[in-house]
Amino acid sequence: MSRPATVRERRPRALLTVGAFLAALSLVVAAFPAASQPRRFTIAFANITEEPGLTVEGTGFTGADVRQSFVLAARGQPIDLVLYDNHQDAAKALANVADAIQRKVDLYIQYFPDPAINKAAAEMLRGAGISVLAVNYPMTGAPLYGVDNRAAGRVAGEALVRFAGGAWAGQSMVAILLGNLTDQANGLPERVQGVREPLTRLLPATRIIALDTRGNPAQVSPLLGKAAAASPNTRFLIAALDDMTALSAKSALEVLGRTADAAIVGLGCDRSVHGGASEKKEIDPNNRGSILIGSVAFFLDRYGYDVLPLALRMLRGESVPARTPTRHILITTANVWREYPPYDMQ
Amino acid sequence: MMIKALSAAGLVMLVLGWTSVAFAQTDCKTLVPASPWGPNDQTGATNRVTAAVTKAAAAEIQEGKVVPMSYPLVDGVPLFGTRFSKTILTATTLAPGAALGENQLTYMEDTWLSQSHVGTHLDGLGHIGRKDCYFNQTPMGKYINQNNMTRLGLENLKSFATRGVLIDAVKVYQQAGKLKSNANCKKPCLDKGTVLSKADLEAGLKMYNVTLREGDIVIIHTGWGDLFEQFPAKNAEYNSGEPGLGKEAAAWLVSQKIVAVGNDTWGVEVIPGENPKEAFIVHNILITDNGIHILENVRTDLMAAEANSTGRATFFFNMTVPRAVGLTGNFVGIDGIR
Repeated sequence: MSRPATVRERRPRALLTVGAFLAALSLVVAAFPAASQPRRFTIAFANITEEPGLTVEGTGFTGADVRQSFVLAARGQPIDLVLYDNHQDAAKALANVADAIQRKVDLYIQYFPDPAINKAAAEMLRGAGISVLAVNYPMTGAPLYGVDNRAAGRVAGEALVRFAGGAWAGQSMVAILLGNLTDQANGLPERVQGVREPLTRLLPATRIIALDTRGNPAQVSPLLGKAAAASPNTRFLIAALDDMTALSAKSALEVLGRTADAAIVGLGCDRSVHGGASEKKEIDPNNRGSILIGSVAFFLDRYGYDVLPLALRMLRGESVPARTPTRHILITTANVWREYPPYDMQ
Repeated sequence: MMIKALSAAGLVMLVLGWTSVAFAQTDCKTLVPASPWGPNDQTGATNRVTAAVTKAAAAEIQEGKVVPMSYPLVDGVPLFGTRFSKTILTATTLAPGAALGENQLTYMEDTWLSQSHVGTHLDGLGHIGRKDCYFNQTPMGKYINQNNMTRLGLENLKSFATRGVLIDAVKVYQQAGKLKSNANCKKPCLDKGTVLSKADLEAGLKMYNVTLREGDIVIIHTGWGDLFEQFPAKNAEYNSGEPGLGKEAAAWLVSQKIVAVGNDTWGVEVIPGENPKEAFIVHNILITDNGIHILENVRTDLMAAEANSTGRATFFFNMTVPRAVGLTGNFVGIDGIR
């Protein structure tokens, strides 16, 4: 009959077992380094254009702003970013896709406006087993992230309605839609539609005038001048479809001596209207009296922070919404430094 | 006239009263942790510089070599926005016939008109808060007047006579093969936006076989100071961003119970920050939450070269901070003594 093992006898066996387990574990860790570190993914981002100074989506943002947001957002993430410039060129866009397939990237983020090219690109990538995510322009079967022009327009319209109700209730008012109103490529008619909705619903007695600059900011002054002359005792609720138009409108009204009669909301909220503590831009907590009461954020300079987390979720096998719109909110003197904290006061 | 004056005075009182009420409404206990040194603590991390810490640090003085670690403060160095640092020289006795006495004594002195956070400088405990809540749950709204703070001023700090530890982040990145220098730097530098991680700091310490001790001051060489040295030519680039500490690295430094951390940038932490919606969050982590000082615009290249040539990255940290009552920080002179 064997006697039960004493504590002293059992200890070497237990130590051997633990030792063997640790040795096995270290072998596993050595063989599969991914088990001890998060897996890194290679993600390609093909930008619409990076031509200096060329603005995108009917805003003041450039492709460089979009690209930079991806670079910054990738820091600290398990992402190796491969950056492409589509140059707004179909052949280049397809060549970029081919290159990414050759590199065997894990996911491709396409920012390109041509539906036919996007369809072809999606097929090529899917054929290579590469996941696809689309920015601003749909790709078959790919989740879409991006601008919601109609929603952004609504935010602008609602802001004007709120202002009118608070400051000019009962007074004669005209609403003015100002900018490149018919720019289909950038979805500006949808933006216009969005602005109109709250105005017609909540201020039904207010006439809406459409002033189309056809993309020429120099037209803002003559168009507004004519409208102002035709309405001498009237307040103007101005929805400017981009920030440059908003700033041009403010200047024109100053020249006309009608700033007291106007409130302007811009769309885009690019760096021309807000900035650092020392920059003294129009939307600044220390400039609370401006007739430019705010600008609706399009956050193209934050795209990377929104899109890369979606990409990582896709690569980890999680589901993502078919459509993720940009968070269009009104940026005013009250929240500009909360949304865009400046870092030039240090 | 008197009624108008009284009305104005009343309005001022109303505004001041309202301001105080508004400040008092913030519950600082929910925003800022309590100091580990007690509810009345206004000293923060320099509490760690005990006699034993200073004595141990003195062992770092082996050759008596003094390595400068501050930049000259002069017109043209990078400053932000409206910040300025100007001097006016009083030299009246140098005028003909104005010397004093038979010994013809003359004298000069300066008037220094300057903001305190310029050049190589220390961020004090009253520099950074969350809303009106500062280090040790101090509701700062109750403790400020037009001229200064009545709590958390520099006069409350203890000595900085402790061990300095250099971390050469440039070398870490070079050895890891991941250095992407900024084109404006004449010498290798990390580029703006480079997030220094805990792993980077640990690699830098390991490079020189250093283990951090409680009470140490950590100085990081990023190479970005090369742009400072090119003033004024590269001021805009210097101020446009910087490499620096990320949140994870800052939290790790807190866990090491250091006294201060500095580097050769204007803000020590990475800019643009990791989260674009957070403002100077590392400042909050270090100063507001833990009473750990930040040293900005530290000259690090000479000590980095010294460490590189000798294989030793530790030194006696020699810096005094004026007992300037109620100040949020001040420019300082730093020497590393070996």
